[in-house]
Amino acid sequence: MKKPQLKTALLSLSALLFAGSALAADPAFPKAPAGKVTLEVWSWVPGLDKTVAAFEKAYPNIDVKVTNLGGGPQTYTKLLTTLKAGTGAPDVAQVEYGFVPSFVDTGGLADLSTLGANNYKKYFVPWTWGQVSPDGKAVFAIPQDTGPFAMVYRDDVLKKYGIAAPKTWAEYEKAAATMYTKSGGKVKMGNFYATFAPWFMALAWADGGQFFKRDGDSWVQTLNNPSAKKVLNYWYGMIKKGHVGTIQAFTADYWNAAGAGQVASNFEAAWGPGGYAGSMKDKGAGLWRAANIPQWTASNTVKSGNWGGSSSVVTAQSKNKQAALLFSLWLNLSETAISQNWTNGGLFPASDAGLDFAILKDKTKNPSKFFGGQDISSVYATASRGVNVNFQWAPWFPFANDNFNKQMDLMLKGKLTPNQALDAWQRETLAEAKKQGYTAR
Amino acid sequence: MVVSRPYLPRTPAVKPSRGTPWLFLSPFLVLFTLFYIAPVMYAGYLSLFIKKRAGFGAAKEVFGGMANYVRAFQDTEFLSSLLNILKFGVVQIPIMMLVATALALVLDAAKNRLQGVFRTAFYLPYTIPSVIAGLLWGYLYSKNLSPFNQIVTALGGGRVDFLGSDIVLWSIANIVTWTWTGYNMITLYAALQNIPTDLYEAARIDGASPWQLTRDIKLPLLKPSLLLVLIFSIIGTMQVFAEPFVLRPLGYVPDNITPNTYLYLVASRDGNFSYAATLAILLAIFTFLMSAVFLRFTRRGGEL
Repeated sequence: MKKPQLKTALLSLSALLFAGSALAADPAFPKAPAGKVTLEVWSWVPGLDKTVAAFEKAYPNIDVKVTNLGGGPQTYTKLLTTLKAGTGAPDVAQVEYGFVPSFVDTGGLADLSTLGANNYKKYFVPWTWGQVSPDGKAVFAIPQDTGPFAMVYRDDVLKKYGIAAPKTWAEYEKAAATMYTKSGGKVKMGNFYATFAPWFMALAWADGGQFFKRDGDSWVQTLNNPSAKKVLNYWYGMIKKGHVGTIQAFTADYWNAAGAGQVASNFEAAWGPGGYAGSMKDKGAGLWRAANIPQWTASNTVKSGNWGGSSSVVTAQSKNKQAALLFSLWLNLSETAISQNWTNGGLFPASDAGLDFAILKDKTKNPSKFFGGQDISSVYATASRGVNVNFQWAPWFPFANDNFNKQMDLMLKGKLTPNQALDAWQRETLAEAKKQGYTAR
Repeated sequence: MVVSRPYLPRTPAVKPSRGTPWLFLSPFLVLFTLFYIAPVMYAGYLSLFIKKRAGFGAAKEVFGGMANYVRAFQDTEFLSSLLNILKFGVVQIPIMMLVATALALVLDAAKNRLQGVFRTAFYLPYTIPSVIAGLLWGYLYSKNLSPFNQIVTALGGGRVDFLGSDIVLWSIANIVTWTWTGYNMITLYAALQNIPTDLYEAARIDGASPWQLTRDIKLPLLKPSLLLVLIFSIIGTMQVFAEPFVLRPLGYVPDNITPNTYLYLVASRDGNFSYAATLAILLAIFTFLMSAVFLRFTRRGGEL
């Protein structure tokens, strides 16, 4: 017969195998509602339409329709529009943690605690539950994937300049200076992503920084918190001396420089290495390694932050919330779905058990292969378990996200000091929050 | 059964009533009202509401009168976006019109086989969707890989950050000029082709030089078309959106680089639809005023 059919057969066979092994390890999911149910799912996970086949097999009366919207701001615009319009929203949608509060705020998300979602809290890495249930009672989403922070570095470049992978930020700063001197400024130890607030926030998060907090009936915003100031001043010092670069993340410029060994290390979320492998292809393949992010004081316990990751929300418009919750739990806790989402989309699981699945450690495949066969997933698992639990976002975070870029631009031009930039970020964002009608200080 | 009748000349059985023209206009009017007037009215209605929150949960839209309009006139970000687009227009529109006119005149004067080739070549950028054009230019603008920068550094100069926040407005102007010059050229070229050739003949007999032909015959006759191009360019400039938006992921492009990017972000990012509606209405009024002023101004200059 023709090849594609063989491939499909193999795929469904492997799906079946996954399904078989999954049943034993998976937590007990809630009962499926009776009767024929169709769920509309919006997501940007590649291959999700195939993953759900295993779900439909296990729950024959539930039909899942997946629409891949590709992700990015446009996806949120579409979801926001349907929630605002009161019609047209899917049953389940993928939303990044930082954006969950702004959707909660529309009143368009179902509170899953009323359907028993809190019974599943124990299966997730603790900090992820804090992201979907800020007050510890209402649950607005089921955690899906995560982006705990680790350091990625070019082993060959570090060795060339006689530098050991730094374990503290003091060592990192010294390494950056050494590399600058020895390479004549051609190779930078690191790179500051000046247009990605969550990258910066993850570094401050690792230091225990808090940016938003609910306080009774109002909000407290502290974008200029002590950790943020510490982290930004630290980086600005290295930027000014030219010891680290400021190339835009995810641009051809960055991949070119990183591939050419001109960026010796960086701090990337768990989904980052997959992007490195995909974007740099054979340039520098096998030469990268991952390690815990440097700590402010030498210690054996790893404290980390998180950048990105997403969750599955159930909309208030859904007519089948019970089935939608069941699907969201299955999608993010079953070994079948976690494995498929890792293989197809590089989704680093929020499920605690999922962090140790063997499929994440496959040396013959990327990202591990790109990292010289290193078990980088266990580095990231350590990072995830070391992420500070009490970290909240505010509904107006999308504004803060963009305003950060403005302040960093002014700082890099020398018009603001790091402290002034953070103060301006705090001031302008707070003014906007108030304009949006929030009680915030 | 139908019985055939002898043909009888007759007057219309029904006299056309006053309603008949409306009947014929109705397909247009219904669609126009539904898809144009109604949304504008709705935007106007929406702009009168503000968000109010009590504690947590969804915001309520409450009647706020002119509050959003007052806010808009105090919103320095919005006002500076208007200033940005004004600067943009003052520089970009004249350059584009000058180049388009020059190209049209050259094409009109050159009567050989290459004419078609050039006409297509100049027009081609317009056929490329603006998002794709933005992506292409985004690559050409990237600091380290840009061919322009490679030439500059080869000549011993420093790299230019085309996407830097000070320059990016002009980088966008360049993309817009690249896209629209050819389109405008075609409009002007078509107008030139419509000029009766006997005018040229008569002028030549009178001893006019090619330059005099251009200055005293072609350009004056081109004036209505130039005016049309100008008005469309003003309106088009006020609507610049795709180019800056595509460049956003590549660097720091300010939220308020153009009024449209700003109001899009207010609506889609900050979820403030009523304030965005307010800005849209103000922008429409502003565009209308600009166009009206120019029409007025140019009409007074020469008789049209």
